[in-house]
Amino acid sequence: MGDIHDDVSRIEALFRSVLSTADSVEALQGVRVRFLGKKGEVTSLLKQLGSLPDDERPEAGRVLNELRDSMERSLAEKTRQYAGAQVTAREREEWIDVTLPGRGRPWGAFHPVAQVTQEAIDIFVSMGFSVAYGPEVEDDFHNFEGLNIPPHHPARDMQDTFYLENGLLLRTHTSPVEVRSMRKWGAPLRIIVPGKVFRRDSDQTHTPMFHQLEGLLVDENISLAHLKGCLEAFVNRIFGRPLKARYRGSYFPFTEPSIEMDVECVACSGRDPGCRICKGTGWLEISGLGMTHPNVIRAGGIDPVRYNGFAWGMGLDRIAMLKYGLNDLRVFFEGDLAFLNSKGERR
Amino acid sequence: MFASLNWLKELVDIPVDTPMLAQRLTDTGVEVEGLEVPVALFRGAVTARVVSIAIHPGRPDLFVLTVDAGKRKGVCVTAARNLEGGDVVPWGPPGCVLADGTEISCRDFQGVTSEGMVLSAEEIGLPGIADEYGILRMGEGFTPGEDARAALGLDDTVLELSITPDRGDLLSMVGLAREVSALFPEARYKGITPAIQPRASRLDGFEGITLTDSGCPFYALGALEGVNIKPSPMRARVRLLLSGMRPISNVVDATNLVMLLVGQPLHAFDDARLPGRDITVRLAREGEMILTLDGKTRVLDGEDLLITSGGKPVAVAGVMGGEESEISGDTTRVLLESAHFDSIKVSRASRKLGIPSEAAYRFSRFVDPCKAETALAVAMEMMASWGAGVPSGWIAAGEAAQKERKVALTSKVLGKIIGTGDLDMATAILERLGISTGDHDPSVRHYSIPSFRPDISIEEDLIEEVARIRGYDKVAAELPPVMHATGDITDRMRAERAVRSTAMARGYSEVVTYCFVSPQSIAALRFPGPDPRSSPVALSNPLSVDMSVLRTTLVPGLVQAVLKNISSGWRRAIRIFETGMVFFRRGREVEEVFKLGGCVCTGVDSRSPWGDQGTEDFHSVAADIEAIFASRGVAVDLVPGSEPFGHAGKTARVLADGRDVGYLSALKPEIESEMELPAPVFLFELDMGPLVHDGKATFGEVRKYPPVFRDISLVVKEGVYSSDVLALIRELGGPLLEEVRLFDIYKGKGIPEGHRSLAYTLAYRDPERTLRDDEVDQVQGRLRDQLAQRGIRLR
Repeated sequence: MGDIHDDVSRIEALFRSVLSTADSVEALQGVRVRFLGKKGEVTSLLKQLGSLPDDERPEAGRVLNELRDSMERSLAEKTRQYAGAQVTAREREEWIDVTLPGRGRPWGAFHPVAQVTQEAIDIFVSMGFSVAYGPEVEDDFHNFEGLNIPPHHPARDMQDTFYLENGLLLRTHTSPVEVRSMRKWGAPLRIIVPGKVFRRDSDQTHTPMFHQLEGLLVDENISLAHLKGCLEAFVNRIFGRPLKARYRGSYFPFTEPSIEMDVECVACSGRDPGCRICKGTGWLEISGLGMTHPNVIRAGGIDPVRYNGFAWGMGLDRIAMLKYGLNDLRVFFEGDLAFLNSKGERR
Repeated sequence: MFASLNWLKELVDIPVDTPMLAQRLTDTGVEVEGLEVPVALFRGAVTARVVSIAIHPGRPDLFVLTVDAGKRKGVCVTAARNLEGGDVVPWGPPGCVLADGTEISCRDFQGVTSEGMVLSAEEIGLPGIADEYGILRMGEGFTPGEDARAALGLDDTVLELSITPDRGDLLSMVGLAREVSALFPEARYKGITPAIQPRASRLDGFEGITLTDSGCPFYALGALEGVNIKPSPMRARVRLLLSGMRPISNVVDATNLVMLLVGQPLHAFDDARLPGRDITVRLAREGEMILTLDGKTRVLDGEDLLITSGGKPVAVAGVMGGEESEISGDTTRVLLESAHFDSIKVSRASRKLGIPSEAAYRFSRFVDPCKAETALAVAMEMMASWGAGVPSGWIAAGEAAQKERKVALTSKVLGKIIGTGDLDMATAILERLGISTGDHDPSVRHYSIPSFRPDISIEEDLIEEVARIRGYDKVAAELPPVMHATGDITDRMRAERAVRSTAMARGYSEVVTYCFVSPQSIAALRFPGPDPRSSPVALSNPLSVDMSVLRTTLVPGLVQAVLKNISSGWRRAIRIFETGMVFFRRGREVEEVFKLGGCVCTGVDSRSPWGDQGTEDFHSVAADIEAIFASRGVAVDLVPGSEPFGHAGKTARVLADGRDVGYLSALKPEIESEMELPAPVFLFELDMGPLVHDGKATFGEVRKYPPVFRDISLVVKEGVYSSDVLALIRELGGPLLEEVRLFDIYKGKGIPEGHRSLAYTLAYRDPERTLRDDEVDQVQGRLRDQLAQRGIRLR
């Protein structure tokens, strides 16, 4: 017998190499027999211990026993791994159909307009606007007169109004909240007003109730550039990409100048003359806006010489239609689950 | 409004092509909604004179015509009976295409070949220009051999314009021409100059005009004698039709054409049929009546402005004339009214009486008083040139001229809004609009506002004019520089978002239903009289009875949505929720209450691989309510309660921190079957108010010592509420009792009839030390004794 340490190193290296290629419980059993069996490599070395001189025997015994223990541990560990992959009778008995639908309720669904409203609000909040609310039942002053629309003004024809008893009415726009908020908070002011509005109108693209997002900024030295800046930032975020915008002259009694904002068609970008979304014009009306009329600032109890501002109103239902590629507004108010739960389904 | 491009070109030189014109108009505030070539398909027809007419040799119902179109002659067969030799008619030779796209060819009529056909107004696509049955006789002013499209004035483009209510001046061709000239510096405005100069004189035999109300500051009448009512010239009829109006007769058409041209509405009275020899403009008397020319009797009130003659109403000022003095076929003398009426008076009367006439539309949007006399002159000249009558006099009352108005524009404010305060640039633009100044100061200038622009009264109005003509694209976008405070969604919206997320995570879909519902849908819920939900606020002008009252509860909308789903084939469970306002009458006001409503039903097909675990019941919905409130840190309790539409045994009031915030209820079985709903249907409706303030402000202390559990089973009568038993256990359990939880309900063997067993697990804990079993046993024993003393049987 040569140097015991040489033998141990050799056997250990061999064992590691054989072990690494063993890939089943059976193969591991083979490894055990080869090294630790009755005629195994380690066993035969152990048998030779007796022939060693007395002074070498204890040290050689210790080294060999250590080797044997280390091999046992390695084999046991690896055996446990492979044995775990084996199916026991108990497991076979306890089989279930894992493909069954999950128990309990499926995920519900947000209303598309509510979803768009939330996204729109978050965008404007990031620009410093805070949410304000106002009543859905309004009086003539807040809905019309305070917004520079006196009785019998032809601008009242622009919005067919639902009237209630005692001179009350259902607000035709979210603009009444402008005056209410100015009176409550004064200037400087940045508010957005989401809410339901009501007009006496009903067809594929008009429902007697719909949703608007009004915005108002009042501060010193506010310009058209700021109005464009806020609205373009909003449009680009809500539709997820920069869109070309254009501005057209318009008329609202409560803004001066008054402007219509169009953005490039989200469906065809103006490239499809037969586009159903933009009717081939390449543009989509997105918002009516303008610099707040001094009379309205005054009605809000703010000094129109020191302060000025801008306001806008946009239809959230329309933005939802554009964002989700819908063409009938009426489905928003029918509570049709097949529709509401279809978001994410391929069209 | 429809505007003929050819007509516009008579009034202004337009230096750009039509798409460019449309674009520029749209950008500056006159939206061009459409560009249409009239009867676009019709082509290839020529004007031709009928040379001879003979009866078809084999077909006595047909005529054989020879027609002469100058260079070309032809033979046509027609069934029309209205032709005479010498008439000029449109002839469609072979190859001509009719308005409906039909191509004309030669056709044999029993041996006579018709070379195309002579055409009716309908075949041309303009039935409105016909004044008789048969072939279109074009009348005077047409020579044979012209292209029929060009001759009739159809080689035109009609602009469909949307005019905003502030720009009444653009409801006329003259106004549009002026606007176009301002849009293009190279454009030249030609306008109109009537040959007859407006000059008020007297009117023989006429007593005079009396104006008694400030609503009519000026009133003029022009007289025509020898009136011969007949159709207007063909081109005038075409022009009216292209402008969206219907030709009627020469006198009426002339008033309409002048209104379209100048913007001033005119009214023609049959002089012979006026009841008096005077005109008085006054306010109507309450209840006074007039038969308007649409054949309806109108009842007036004291604010309506009335034109009277001989004391009798003859027209509602600026709205509509009376039938009794209307122009008819035998009118021989005409009095033509051109007046200024107050826009608010006319607007009010027009809306109230429901007469949206062209005249009222224009007066409501302000008509330039300075145009009244010009319009009268143009109309009389037009009628004279058509041979409709001979102008014979002119009379006027009141004052048409307006006070000069000036508005200042400062460089500072202009610069603030549009980024440049260059007043020279502003002046150049404004002058093209007819807004002039003699000032040259670089910091402030005063501009004279012409009478046709009543919409301009403050500096900002001038800025809008400059900004829109200069182009909004010239202003570069930029975020507002100073943010004084961070934006906030507010507690109310935080509550809404938490509620919506929780509901959705628990399988509910969000619906939005109309705030107006049918009164029946509320009555169906059987609210007793004193319940405020029984008397909803009604709309004065609902679209339909189904949308005629404001909801006092979210239930009708939710139920409607459930029914809609079932009818459109949704078979699985339905879980929907809505957040929104309900409305109550409070004195003269309407109170809005913010509610969360939900509806759950198992649906038509409740089968599930999980058996009963897959279906909904009262308690599964109760858990949703608990979760929704927990999402805002608010604890809820359900206590026995009732709702008029609720199942008597399955209705609970929901208490949030002890306050009643609504109900959870199974719908009354009777209502379920009435509404054909698949039972059971669960409804809840809760105030959002308590959720607005987040209750999750603090956590409890960390518990260091373990609890000790003991169970207890009690036998109680059916009808005894678990929550009452639980409250009793809590009351009697002593200070160490930390939590009580119901874990089993049992009926059957071993339990007497009419009773049930409720099993609770109790957790005892001392925050200061570990409890020993024997002391817990002692406490538990005492509890059992006390429960027994109260007559509760222990199992």
